[in-house]
Amino acid sequence: MATPELEIGDLVHYYGRKKVLEIDRFEVYPGESVVIFGPNGAGKSTLLRVAALLEKPTSGHVIYHGVDAWPGNPLSLRRQAVLLLEKPVFFRGRVKDNLLYGLKLRGVRPQDGRQSLEEIVELFRLGPLLDRSPEELSAGERQRVNLARAMVIKPRVLFLDEPFSSLDAAFRDELMAEFHQIRRKTGQTTVLVTHIREEAAYLADRMIVLIQGKVVQAGKPEEIFAFPAHPAVARLIGHEALVEGTVVDQQNGLLKIAIAGQFLYALGHRFPGERVTVIFRPEEVILATEKPATSVRNWFYATVTEIKHLDKLFLVHLDCGFKLKAYLTRPAIEELQVASGKKFWAGVKASSLLANPCYSRMKEPDQNNGAK
Amino acid sequence: MIQLSEIWPVIWLTLLISGLATIISFVLALPAALFLYFQEFPGRKIVLSLIHTGMGLPPVVVGLFVALLLWRSGPLGSLGLMYTPAAMLIAQIIIAWRIIAGLTWAALQQVDPTLILQAKALGASRLQLALTLFREARLGQISAVIAAFGAVVSEVGAVLMVGGNIKGYTRVLTTAILQETRLGNFSLAIILALILLGLSFAVNWLLTSWQQKGTKSWRLPSWK
Repeated sequence: MATPELEIGDLVHYYGRKKVLEIDRFEVYPGESVVIFGPNGAGKSTLLRVAALLEKPTSGHVIYHGVDAWPGNPLSLRRQAVLLLEKPVFFRGRVKDNLLYGLKLRGVRPQDGRQSLEEIVELFRLGPLLDRSPEELSAGERQRVNLARAMVIKPRVLFLDEPFSSLDAAFRDELMAEFHQIRRKTGQTTVLVTHIREEAAYLADRMIVLIQGKVVQAGKPEEIFAFPAHPAVARLIGHEALVEGTVVDQQNGLLKIAIAGQFLYALGHRFPGERVTVIFRPEEVILATEKPATSVRNWFYATVTEIKHLDKLFLVHLDCGFKLKAYLTRPAIEELQVASGKKFWAGVKASSLLANPCYSRMKEPDQNNGAK
Repeated sequence: MIQLSEIWPVIWLTLLISGLATIISFVLALPAALFLYFQEFPGRKIVLSLIHTGMGLPPVVVGLFVALLLWRSGPLGSLGLMYTPAAMLIAQIIIAWRIIAGLTWAALQQVDPTLILQAKALGASRLQLALTLFREARLGQISAVIAAFGAVVSEVGAVLMVGGNIKGYTRVLTTAILQETRLGNFSLAIILALILLGLSFAVNWLLTSWQQKGTKSWRLPSWK
């Protein structure tokens, strides 16, 4: 296996008396896109600053291509990484001056710099913006210039702190796709931090879930999304309802699970007699006034207990012997006349449900060691 | 009474002493301000308070301290600098330094710290960080230079005390104006005052043009 570009080992970091990071092992291999995913305050940005050698860890190793950075933290090693902060900030001068900033710091000869600049300008389609002042650019253009400014340096590892979070949803998707393509084309090794699951799923070759300063789960995004190893991870990736039951039958990966005197069908590799936690995404639960004849395997007669108005949707809390939640749009709420106390049939496909090892036997991340 | 032919050396010495004092104090104040910006150390607040107190120090008091130092029996008396242009330069450097150090530090503080962190995260060395900060705080620093030049070119107490207003040697515009006013030569005093104002305006115009270079007026908010 190739030598990792970056290795972090036995890292512990404190702010005052508060332990904000405790990472046993974290590696980044050449060409990889690693996404550090976690809620706000998990210590993601701190981990990036420590990994990019901008902050000295309280203890532990940060190793670039076999060379431990501390205690010396030589400039030559620090220059192998580039970190883009969450808010794009620009230096006095034109877009072009900003794009060349990192190369000039490294003493790159003007003719070599010009070639790198031309390449990156073409990749990010920045030609018309070169002579403009960064202040004149839109938010999307600013972030493109920001990304190009880092990638033109071709660092060993590029660290990005929530690079798309300040953009509108439409711009975000567009720029994310553009960045993803360019990253693949250039083979740039990247470590990106985000708290948005779609961003993590789209950009990650490998995902690290960080909660309270600790790595709770690591793996390919599809693995993490399919089998969250921890209730906190499940909640983080949008599984709102967690129901415990016992597997009574298993055929070809389809499990029959007894829950609160009812049977439920879900996917998973568990065995009869095993206690499991079944996880639901509220967006996959549907409501009907009468039980329809469909291919949906799971139907439960449920009472509406609460309706919460979210930004664009309503979150309907249901009681069907166990707790369930469903996202509904306003027209759906009006059409079905959903109200507290009314009864509905709640349906969810077996393929939308996942049965994982019983979460209630797992420990929550240590609250006392939480990140700031 | 001063003859017109004697005015040129006075103008020249005024420009030389004020200009040199401003440049030298800027060169001395900038590293101090950068050090105060980047380095946390015990007593940093006390140093800053002392600089701010120094900004309000009457120039004549500076003159007194310099005179005490350079007086024949003083610690630096053996250098024989009292009543020389060099003594005036020393006093003016001290007067300009406290203004430039205080205002430059304030100008550096105005720069978004995220920008400096981003510079570091893009690979800037210590020196490159300082240069970036210096570039970003350009407007405020030129204001500091303008304020310092204004203070030294119009200063009279300290230069009179340590320079002695010796004709053809340490006489500058301010001390000449004082002398002619005392002698009742008001018309000449007024001419000298106008020359001083013109000189001050010319230098400030140059510095302001440099300061405003690249600032686009359309980006500024309008009254209309």
